[in-house]
Amino acid sequence: MRILVVEDDPDLARQLKAALGDAGYAVDHAPDGEEAHFLGDTEPYDAIVLDLGLPKMDGVSVLERWRRASVATPVLILTARGAWSEKVAGFDAGADDYLTKPFHTEELLARLRALLRRSAGHASPSLECGALRLDPRAARATVNGEPLRLTSLEYRLLHYLMMHQGRVISRTELVEHLYDQDFDRDSNTIEVFIGRLRKKVGPDRIETVRGLGYRLVALEGEATTT
Amino acid sequence: MTELKATGVSASPFLGRRAARAKSAAAAPPPKPRRQPSLVRRLVVLHAVLSAIVLAIGGVTLSAFFAERSTAAFDERLGDDVLDLVRGTSVDETGEVAAPTLTDARTGYAYSGKYWELVTPGEGGPVHAIDRSRSMWDAPDFALPAGGAPALASRAGKTFYYDGMGPAPSGGASAQPGAPAGKEHVRIAAELVHIAGVKDPIIFMVAEDRSPIDANIRTFAVSVAIALAALLAMLIGGVMLQVRFGLRPLFRLQREVASVRTGKTDRVGDDYPAELEPLASELNALVAHNQEVVERQRTHVGNLAHALKTPLTVMDAEAQARPGPLGDVVRRQVDVMREQVDHHLRRARASARQQGGGDRTEVAPLLEELALTLERIFQDKGVEIDWRAPDDLFFHGERQDLLELAGNVMENACKWCKARVRVTAEALDATRFSLTVEDDGPGLAAKDRAEVLQRGARLDETAPGSGLGLSIVDELARAYGGALALSDSHWGGLMTTLTLPRGEA
Repeated sequence: MRILVVEDDPDLARQLKAALGDAGYAVDHAPDGEEAHFLGDTEPYDAIVLDLGLPKMDGVSVLERWRRASVATPVLILTARGAWSEKVAGFDAGADDYLTKPFHTEELLARLRALLRRSAGHASPSLECGALRLDPRAARATVNGEPLRLTSLEYRLLHYLMMHQGRVISRTELVEHLYDQDFDRDSNTIEVFIGRLRKKVGPDRIETVRGLGYRLVALEGEATTT
Repeated sequence: MTELKATGVSASPFLGRRAARAKSAAAAPPPKPRRQPSLVRRLVVLHAVLSAIVLAIGGVTLSAFFAERSTAAFDERLGDDVLDLVRGTSVDETGEVAAPTLTDARTGYAYSGKYWELVTPGEGGPVHAIDRSRSMWDAPDFALPAGGAPALASRAGKTFYYDGMGPAPSGGASAQPGAPAGKEHVRIAAELVHIAGVKDPIIFMVAEDRSPIDANIRTFAVSVAIALAALLAMLIGGVMLQVRFGLRPLFRLQREVASVRTGKTDRVGDDYPAELEPLASELNALVAHNQEVVERQRTHVGNLAHALKTPLTVMDAEAQARPGPLGDVVRRQVDVMREQVDHHLRRARASARQQGGGDRTEVAPLLEELALTLERIFQDKGVEIDWRAPDDLFFHGERQDLLELAGNVMENACKWCKARVRVTAEALDATRFSLTVEDDGPGLAAKDRAEVLQRGARLDETAPGSGLGLSIVDELARAYGGALALSDSHWGGLMTTLTLPRGEA
């Protein structure tokens, strides 16, 4: 397992390298944003520990560039500020987990193990509907290769629609699939989620069949290869 | 004339003033004890006073001119009568003077208002009447003009015009009702003529009741006064409109500044007239400066945190690598320092917020961001966050702060839930909204809830590591004038309700 540690503080970097080395990982170190970007972009790491406050290029920018260049390596970000704005920005840029400084080394190792476990065993059959693609193992969906940002409920709804694409699915069926308890099933829940999904995947992909329910369809001119 | 004008002047501006006051009172917060009069009022009152003075002068001048012209025309007719009298007068051999009959029939009736008289000036004494119109009856002779006979004599052949008393009592046909009792006022034309065959010069005098022209003059003055008062009212109305329209950008600026304060906009517009433009740009600069100061403070605080936290991590790891009493002490102290740093960071953030203000933040996208982030963070646990918020709901405050408030409460719910978290934002009224976060976790006993809600950082100290982390939320919510409340959720877990200021949509 090869891990890249991006940290500008020499003492912390030395400690992290030592701790990760002791845990059996091969560790590379980048002291600034530019070098980190280069290494992450060119070397096949299994995971990256990325400090957000870096000289030359900040951590969020580095992460954004990697993700834009389709570097899918799981990234754990280290932040000193612990402010939610920073966490949200980090996850927005494509982080997989975060740790707030100061942290205990055991915690970092535990998080890293979880990250590696999650990213292992990818390649799984995915669902497709036109340009819409859903990977159930990674719980990710894309349109034309662009990743969609979906909450779990939205993802679950899309997954269900994709499994039954082309078929009209009633509201009751959808709401029963989304919630297991009756008191959650208020009447406009499904409209809310369908509305949000349409905003994200494109309004025409989900048809409303009056009085019956909804149907997921491929757009005209898109080849469906299911 | 002048009095009439004066009342006309004072009535209208008072109305205008009162209207202006009522308007400003409706728009402005409670009046301060010694407030400057409003601009509208100043301009309107000043304009009213100036217009009144100008119009009064104009009215007086106009009336005086009319009186002068009327009298001159009247005099001209009297002069013609004098001329007729002089031409028609004949002298017989005995030196007896015979006056002609004037065409004006009124001279034949007593006290008719039209009179003539021929007199000869005596030696320095009273005049001696030669002949007089029948209309004069037994009245005394007319007075001579100022300077008496010598003045007439020095300019023989020239007609003198002057006012005098007539024979009839006032109150005749043309007299004004209510006029003081006394003799009628007449206009007299007198001319001294030397007639061949008569030793003494003869003074020819024609007089006529002047009350008709006086009445004309009065009527004219009253009409002018009424017309000018109407004009004044229109001018004042006009200037009020003018000022209202002219000062419209000022009122707009006031509204815009208010919406900057309430966070509806973050700056005032640029399209102001040249006079207000500097004020508008100064205001924008001030707002920008304010935001910059707040931002700078936060950056400083963040920098301090960053500067301290990395060394703390290093010390912690170093201490862990060297087990023993020293290592234990260092680790414990590192934890204390970390709590201290967090605590002061929160305080600094809360005070930075109080100086800021003005921003507003859309709630729905922010909840979505947080839901996405937290589901990612709690991926292994498989937490599902069901969030609901109307699209037109805004938080009156900064995005960072709402992120802190909602982020911490939602993270807390994610930590304690079994799998489900529900977040609901709803408008309560025009100025507040609620953010409710429910989880399906074990919940919190009523006794513990009270403890959680106790103020300050105590919670973190009493339950290190496992604290609910709600004290930061409580503190920040209070800085916003909001509140934090705890109760049971649908699922028996904890329900956290934040009440926060609502921004205008």
